[in-house]
Amino acid sequence: MIPDLAQEGKAEEQQWVPQPQAPVVMFNNVGKTYGRYQAIGGISLALSGGVTGILGLNGAGKSTLFKLLMGKLQPTQGEVRLFGTNPWKNPAPYARVGYVPENENMYDWMTAHEFVSTFARLHGMTRDEAKREAERVLEFVGLTDVMHKKIGRYSKGMRQRAKIAHALVNDPDLIILDEPLQGCDPLARTTIMNVIRELGRMGRTVLLSSHILSEIERITEQIVILHQGRLLAIGNLHAIREQLDNIPHTIEIECKDAKALAKDVLSLDVVHGLQFPSPTKLKIFTHHLGEFHKRLPRIIVDNEHDVMVINNPDDDLQSILGYLTGGLR
Amino acid sequence: MEKKRGETIWTSLDRKATAIAEFTMRQYRTRLSTWVVLGVGFLAISVVLLFYIDAMNTEIEAIDNDGDSYDWDGDGYVNGQEIKYGTDIYDSMSHPGLLSPPIDPEPASMYINEDDYDWDYSGASTVKTGYDNDGDCKDSSLLPSQKDDNGDGIPCNILLVYDANSGTYFVYADPNVDEDPDENRYGKEAQHRAFILGIGKLGFVFLLSIFIPLFLATGIIREEMTSGTMQYMTAKPIARGEIFLYRMLGYLAIVWPYLLIVCTLLAIVSGFMGPGDQFFRFADLGVWFSILIAALLATLVYGMLFAFLGVLWKYGIILALPIAAWELGMALLSMSVPESSFLRMSVVGWSMSIIDSGAYLVWPDMAMFTEAGTWAGGSNPDGFFFLGGGNELPGYGALEWAQSDLGLGMGPYATTVVSVIVLLFQATFFWFIGQLIFKSKEIV
Repeated sequence: MIPDLAQEGKAEEQQWVPQPQAPVVMFNNVGKTYGRYQAIGGISLALSGGVTGILGLNGAGKSTLFKLLMGKLQPTQGEVRLFGTNPWKNPAPYARVGYVPENENMYDWMTAHEFVSTFARLHGMTRDEAKREAERVLEFVGLTDVMHKKIGRYSKGMRQRAKIAHALVNDPDLIILDEPLQGCDPLARTTIMNVIRELGRMGRTVLLSSHILSEIERITEQIVILHQGRLLAIGNLHAIREQLDNIPHTIEIECKDAKALAKDVLSLDVVHGLQFPSPTKLKIFTHHLGEFHKRLPRIIVDNEHDVMVINNPDDDLQSILGYLTGGLR
Repeated sequence: MEKKRGETIWTSLDRKATAIAEFTMRQYRTRLSTWVVLGVGFLAISVVLLFYIDAMNTEIEAIDNDGDSYDWDGDGYVNGQEIKYGTDIYDSMSHPGLLSPPIDPEPASMYINEDDYDWDYSGASTVKTGYDNDGDCKDSSLLPSQKDDNGDGIPCNILLVYDANSGTYFVYADPNVDEDPDENRYGKEAQHRAFILGIGKLGFVFLLSIFIPLFLATGIIREEMTSGTMQYMTAKPIARGEIFLYRMLGYLAIVWPYLLIVCTLLAIVSGFMGPGDQFFRFADLGVWFSILIAALLATLVYGMLFAFLGVLWKYGIILALPIAAWELGMALLSMSVPESSFLRMSVVGWSMSIIDSGAYLVWPDMAMFTEAGTWAGGSNPDGFFFLGGGNELPGYGALEWAQSDLGLGMGPYATTVVSVIVLLFQATFFWFIGQLIFKSKEIV
């Protein structure tokens, strides 16, 4: 392979024929094993448009899925297609992709502006274009005021945003974010979520992974659930959650007077048990989560209960996984 | 492709390649280890330079190689003066003071180093040269046949015959011709040349060109893969072979100017310090230039090789160490047996050929000059007149060790061109293999 000195075209073997009808992302019975360990197995999936959350516990195969898509790993079985082409040993489709790796290491000695503009030039931009685009995306992620500071001095949330900015610099059609919210403070979380939602509104295909359901929930309803390297569920989060109403749930309420609240809550027929972990805490057991949440506000308002926190501790990935795997876990 | 406004050749080139090269260069600059490696290299070279400066400032003791500064019969006239006037050196009652008119005795110092080499250096295989400065052959009472002992038809001269097998000159001298050379003059010149060749071959081509790439280039791809930062670069529309190549450009952007600076510094210091009447030894710059070319190419080839080993294996440096040992062996072999075919399977062998070619062009007299050091005015341990400390002139040993012939059996220009092409080919080969492996590596 001879380097392309003009750096404008692609070498012969990397010729990439756009296939407008091809899905942005396609996995066909894809498996990846490391030695004896199977990271993912038999995944078939096609995605185009919108924001999709990839949910799974740590080690479920989320990053592996992304790395297969970014040609960093070679599938041991099946085919991966990115814009209709095989990404392994073929960097051509990355011109339309932005990838935010999970990896926490960054070039701490660079400023965010240098980082983003350097990587912009790898898209074949000139210095001026790269500078302009870097400033645009850094403003988009809200780092304009600190963009000339060294990344090493950034907070976790700022680092994540710098990583997102570098991935957006080529105005990609597909954005892949591997655990973009991990380790971020609430403010950074909100900013990053807004950025992702905005990208979705702009009509980009966004893939993001997380192991926290509530995070995904705030961004998108379209989810893919991975569990132990297998595709467990795919579709609308609410459709999946509706079915959860039929299994027992726990709701935790923190209020001034737990006993008074308990008395009122017991009047609901959907409640079948109560617990008092402390004088200001109430644990409620129900089979009909949706129904309970529909009626709860009225009780609180009518009886002027001073409620501080309402928690659905079960309403997380663990419980969904438990339900979907039929209590096998 | 349509040409945009303000588009020049530079802006169209100034994209991926310069982005990665600049990035890599800055990355090196932010690392302490880079400066430690370059600093230690400079320190090592400087220590040798200090030895050289010291040698240049130390007068080499004059030795009376032919023994004619002695007064064997104790009549107050040294042997050299007695021989000149034809009196008996063993008889105290025979001396120039008894001649008419009487001659005053001359100081013994006049007869030390009084007959230096007058060799006419040329590339010919048979050279008739030498001049009897002190007249102890021309004016002596020797028979005409004795004055032309070597039978070349010219009395009191020296005949040099090149022997292609040994690569040296044989010296056939008439008696008492150039028999008392100036140790300081020869020694300084020999030490000066030995320093330039030695530092060029072992300092630049071996020490700097192996150890700098070993520490700086082995991790150029591997470290990024280990730390995970390679995730960013490999997610961009750029082939891995290009990443490999452009990162090497960044490495060269650090190493090449460094070599240029160190080499220039040494060239300047040795140019002013070196022996000779001239203000600055400009001709030596040719040798320094060939040293620089050899070192630039060697750092390129080793850089590609070690970077490739780093891609091949996480602990690539372990693979690089035996190669460094092999190259040291080849470096020493190149200096003693430059025609060995083993050298063709090395990097130093080819690099040193470039230096030898440069030396051959700048100092065409090298073979004769070296031979003069071992001939040492014709004095030898078995000779009657031998009074020196050894049968070699000072500096001869160092020069003999540092210099070597052109091992490829070609002229200096052809040797240089072939060596440069081979080294460039080696670099391309290692880059090609390296990027091939890098391409098939999974970035976890």
